[in-house]
Amino acid sequence: MRRLLFSLAIVLLVASTWIGLTQGQIAPLQRNILYAHVPNAVCALLCFVVLLVASAGCLVTGRQGWDLLAAASAEAGFVFATLLNATGMLFSRAEWNVWWTPSPRLVTSAILWFLYAVYLILRVSLPGSPYRRARICAVFGIIAFLDVPLVFVSARFIPDIHRPSFSFDSPWQTAAMMLGMAGTALLAAGLIWLRTSLLRDSGELERELLQ
Amino acid sequence: MSGLWRGFWAIIIKDIVVELRARQVLPTMVILGMLIVFILRMASEPGSAGVGGPVMGVAALWIAFLFSGLLAQERSFAAEQQNGCMDGLLLAPLDVGTIYLAKLLANVIMLTIFEAIVVPMALIAFNLHVTGGWLRLAAVLLLGNLGISSVGTLFSAAVQLARTRGSLLGIVVLVILVPMLIPATFALLALFGAMPVETQDFASLHSSGSLAFVGSFKAAIGYMLAFDAVFVVASWLLFGVVVEE
Repeated sequence: MRRLLFSLAIVLLVASTWIGLTQGQIAPLQRNILYAHVPNAVCALLCFVVLLVASAGCLVTGRQGWDLLAAASAEAGFVFATLLNATGMLFSRAEWNVWWTPSPRLVTSAILWFLYAVYLILRVSLPGSPYRRARICAVFGIIAFLDVPLVFVSARFIPDIHRPSFSFDSPWQTAAMMLGMAGTALLAAGLIWLRTSLLRDSGELERELLQ
Repeated sequence: MSGLWRGFWAIIIKDIVVELRARQVLPTMVILGMLIVFILRMASEPGSAGVGGPVMGVAALWIAFLFSGLLAQERSFAAEQQNGCMDGLLLAPLDVGTIYLAKLLANVIMLTIFEAIVVPMALIAFNLHVTGGWLRLAAVLLLGNLGISSVGTLFSAAVQLARTRGSLLGIVVLVILVPMLIPATFALLALFGAMPVETQDFASLHSSGSLAFVGSFKAAIGYMLAFDAVFVVASWLLFGVVVEE
C-alpha cells in the first residue's frame, strides 16, 4: 500500500516535470522552478497542520501514536521547508539577483524552517520518560503553530516583491502545477506514514531491549 | 480567591527574597547586557554617526533583553530542582497556572530592573534620542519584556532535566520570539527617530524589508499586544502539561 503511494507520487511528479518541460514552460526559463517551489511551500505548511493536530491529539488522548505522528510530520515538514527555502533562493537569485532578502514572505519561510529544526532538536535533547517528552514536544508544536498564521497572513495581504499566486497562461501550466502539488502531497503523506511506522518499530525494539 | 492570591504573592516574594540574599542572577544579567551593548558599540563605529546608531542600538537592546532574559528564566526553575522544591511547589494547594503566573511576574520584575539599568546605558552608548516619548518607550519595553518572559518561563520548566538545558532553552525561546521581534524592532526604531512612525508608502520602504509590513507604530504595539496575549494565555493553559510527572 505504501509502495503504491510512493509509486503514484513519483509518476505524478515525473508527469508534472515532463509537462512543465514541454507544453507548460513558463518564460523565462528560471521560473519553471515554481513547479517545485509552490508544491513544497504548500506541503511544508500542510505538515505543520498535521503537526498541530497530532500535538493536540497527543495532549488530549495521551496516546503514543499521536506523538509519533507529530514527530514524523515534523521530519517531513523539515524536508519540505528546506526544499522550499532552497528552491526559493535559486529563484530569487535568478529573478531578483539576490539569494535572500528580508521580505515578509522570505522571513516567514525562514521562520518555518527554524521552527521545524528546533522541534527536531528538542525531541532528541529531552531526557526522561517518553511520555514527558511527548507532552513537552506537543506543547512546543502548539505554541509554534501560533506563530504560523503570520506566514499565511503575510503571503496574502502584504505587498511584497514575492507574489502570492501565479496566473497561468495555458491549461498545460495549470496541469503541471496541479500534478506537482498532488505528487508532492502524496510524497509527504508517504514519508509521514513511513516515518511513523519506523518510529513505532524502533520504540518497541527499545522497550524489548530494556526488559 | 484570597488563598490563590496568597499563594501567588508567596511564590513571587520567595523568588525575590532568594535573589536578594543570594544575588545569583541579576548581577550576571546586568553585566551580560552591558557587555552586549559595549561589544556592539565597538562593532558599530563606522556607521554610528547617522542612521546606523539607532539601528545598532535597537539591535543591541533586543539582543541584550533576549539573552539576559534567558539567564533569568533558566535560573527561575533551575533553583527549584534542588531538594525537591519543584515537588513542593506542585504539592501546594494551588492551581498550576497560578505557579506559572507567579514565576512569570517574578521574571518580568527581574527583566524590568535589568532594563532600568541597561537601557539608559545603551541610550548613552549609541547616542540615541527618544524622539517618540519616554512613556511610549516604557510601554514597548514592557510589552517586549512580557513576551520574552512568557515563553521563556514556560519552556524553562520544560527543559530543566535536559543536559543541554541552557542552549536548548535558548533556541526554543528565540525561534518562537522571532515574529514578535519584527514589530518590536519597528517600534523602537520609530521611537528613536530612525523610521517614520507611519509608513503609508510601501514602495518607498522597499529597502526596509520585513519591517515595512508592520505599517505604523500603533500597529507595532497592536502586534506586540496580540503576541503577548496569545503567548501568556497559551503558556498559562499549557504549563500544567509541562510540569506534571
